[in-house]
Amino acid sequence: MRLIIRDESEAASSYVANYIIDRIQHFNPTPTHPFVLGLPTGSSPLGVYKVLVEKYKAGLISFENVVTFNMDEYVGIPRDHSESYHSFMWKNFFSHVNVNPNNVHILNGNAPNLEAECVEYEAKIKRAGGIDLFLGGIGEDGHIAFNEPGSSLASRTRVKTLAYDTILANSRFFENDIEKVPKMALTVGVQTVLESREVVVIILGARKASALQRCIEQGVNHMWTLSSLQLHPHPMIVCDEDATLELQVKTVKYFKSIELVARQQGFEQILPSSIRTGPPIPKTVVDEVSDEVQSPTILAPQPMTSRLLRATPATEYPVRSVSPDLVPDRMADRVGVPDLARRLTPQPEQQQQRLASVGA
Amino acid sequence: MPHSLPSSPKSTPKNGGNGITKFTNCRILKDNSLVEEDLWVNSITGKIIRSQAAFYDDFVLPNQVINLGGRILSPGFIECQLNGAFGFNFSTLLEPAVYAKKVREVNRQLVRTGVTSYLPTITSQRSDIYKRALPHLGPSGYRQVAEDGAESVGAHVEGPFLSPTKNGVHNVDVLREADTFEDLEDCYGPTNISSEDSYEPSPIKMVTAAPELGRMTELIPEVTARGIIFSVGHSEATYEEASKAVAAGATMITHLFNAMRPLHHRNPGIFGVLGMAESLPRPYFGIIADGEHLHPTTIKIAFNAHPDGFILVTDAMHMVGLPDGAYQWTNGDCTNHIVKKGPKLILEGSDRIAGSSITLIECVTNFLRWSGATIPQALRAVTSTPAAMLGMQGVKGCLDDGADADLVVLSEGLGQDEAELVIDEVWKFGTKVFSR
Repeated sequence: MRLIIRDESEAASSYVANYIIDRIQHFNPTPTHPFVLGLPTGSSPLGVYKVLVEKYKAGLISFENVVTFNMDEYVGIPRDHSESYHSFMWKNFFSHVNVNPNNVHILNGNAPNLEAECVEYEAKIKRAGGIDLFLGGIGEDGHIAFNEPGSSLASRTRVKTLAYDTILANSRFFENDIEKVPKMALTVGVQTVLESREVVVIILGARKASALQRCIEQGVNHMWTLSSLQLHPHPMIVCDEDATLELQVKTVKYFKSIELVARQQGFEQILPSSIRTGPPIPKTVVDEVSDEVQSPTILAPQPMTSRLLRATPATEYPVRSVSPDLVPDRMADRVGVPDLARRLTPQPEQQQQRLASVGA
Repeated sequence: MPHSLPSSPKSTPKNGGNGITKFTNCRILKDNSLVEEDLWVNSITGKIIRSQAAFYDDFVLPNQVINLGGRILSPGFIECQLNGAFGFNFSTLLEPAVYAKKVREVNRQLVRTGVTSYLPTITSQRSDIYKRALPHLGPSGYRQVAEDGAESVGAHVEGPFLSPTKNGVHNVDVLREADTFEDLEDCYGPTNISSEDSYEPSPIKMVTAAPELGRMTELIPEVTARGIIFSVGHSEATYEEASKAVAAGATMITHLFNAMRPLHHRNPGIFGVLGMAESLPRPYFGIIADGEHLHPTTIKIAFNAHPDGFILVTDAMHMVGLPDGAYQWTNGDCTNHIVKKGPKLILEGSDRIAGSSITLIECVTNFLRWSGATIPQALRAVTSTPAAMLGMQGVKGCLDDGADADLVVLSEGLGQDEAELVIDEVWKFGTKVFSR
């Protein structure tokens, strides 16, 4: 886990934006080898989008070969409703940059068959070669995407009912009328996020401090779905000073010192090069247990040996070459005496006698 | 509707693109404010498009992106009273082919002043001029050819049913009274005031008349039933008579304060209907902000009385855009001369103001300087307010999705330490037609 702490929220936002830009540039995406970016909505990532747009307008980055997947979308409000996540993405990001509309993927909350929409979304991610970098924000209760407390850590893209608290909180965007607030949403699952090659989460403000503390200092817990990041090989959390209010001073100092040392060594906690540059894309190994697992509803409890623990593709680590297996050979082959190879026994006199008797 | 389809090969984009232009880094006029937002227009349909839907549904990206560097993007201006321009007077008797050619020339020139839609105005004339000229002045926007320049949204007939004592420079000899609708049909020509089929509107869009003359007030519903705006003007109407006209359906006042009784504290006259005393809808009203027709303070009073009805008009004559001097003017059945001296037009041998020779953008700048109004308020007076008066909300005078892509790019200059708006570019139906 990398934890980057900045004094101000703006600095945290621009750190994330610059990090994403760095990643894309390093990746050097092409039409056949695009960079696949997972995107969130909400107030935390707003600053990130703002910086990304500024950098695009300054000509420092192009999103031409970037494929995007969004985390979630409400069910049952018109796509162009001002509060829909389609509108959010359009207003804050897509309308300002050169993302190709064919490369944009957002869950359709008005699909006739929501379950099929979710299955298809997972398939689309897979077809795109998996997500290179999933950017996320969190809720006060530590939820990532709409995976609210109690969501299975093995969950995939699915229909999710919103918690009453969330509906109440959202009513401020819907003329304070609870009736108008969507009650359901489509969201990627915790497992979907964990399967991306890198996860970057931005956490801003004192209200999120408790969630950050649970995620960093405590164990993996489905009541704080963000804590599942501990199981990911390359997670990074970027936060501002306010968000660290609940952390121990020791923890904050520890992560700050790591960052400092890494920078002094000219080594900014970088990812393995196979992840940074893309090809060859490591195959994300997904154990398909049965058809039911693909379906967004989990019909049967998952086996105790959770796939979470096996989610890490081992191939991305440099594997030491193993000593070759023993293939026994004859010592005689190694001695340079002519005709020795034809000797059948170590006692040539006996052998010669035998040869002579045969010849007689 | 066939009108919404591309009707001319000119409207297909060159270089085979999708015809979509995105304006960015601009402040666009939305309601009462300038907001930083992008605007997408399609030159094939000639409309402003809903960019979000185009992106998500049609997977399109704009063909060209225009960075306006923070300048103002306003809807194209709408002029409700223009008697002529660039040497051509609409109240002229000419061969049909020549007249039509002159109108086309005016349209092409006029668009350069930021006026993308207008009501060509005919002053009080003999019947034959109406019958000959009006067929050329009807709505011309259905063709959707950007290169044609400004479009007519229908003619404005200012007269001849006017009060002889408030004639201004109109020839008293041609003024008439109407008792029946047939009198109007007889004067303008029946096909010019009533359209034969409901899909094609009649050439006349607005009538200015004095409601107290003859039985004009009772004829107002017959006029408005044909989709024609009834405007009160050149009138001796008292407050009561004006209120009756408004109750009957008059929705506009032609050049408020000019050619009508002044505001008197015992009888507020036509101006009084802008008060809220009666439970009547308040009409829109035209204001000539040229510094000659009205005192700046009078304009402020009118604006504050009813900001949502405030429309800036020029009442410009054909001398607009020409050098100073005396110009011939057909007025009814005699020919007079109008002396142009700067922006001032005086009827030769009198001290009567004979219209103006100001452009609409100059009126907007004047209004800004005099009233302390905000730029959005001033721009509304030549965009959304006239569009609402004409019943063209959502089509003209706004930057909403689906509206016609008639646009003006404005710079905020500082001429003589005072606010000034300068027209940099004009776009008609999503195509650039003028650039400074």
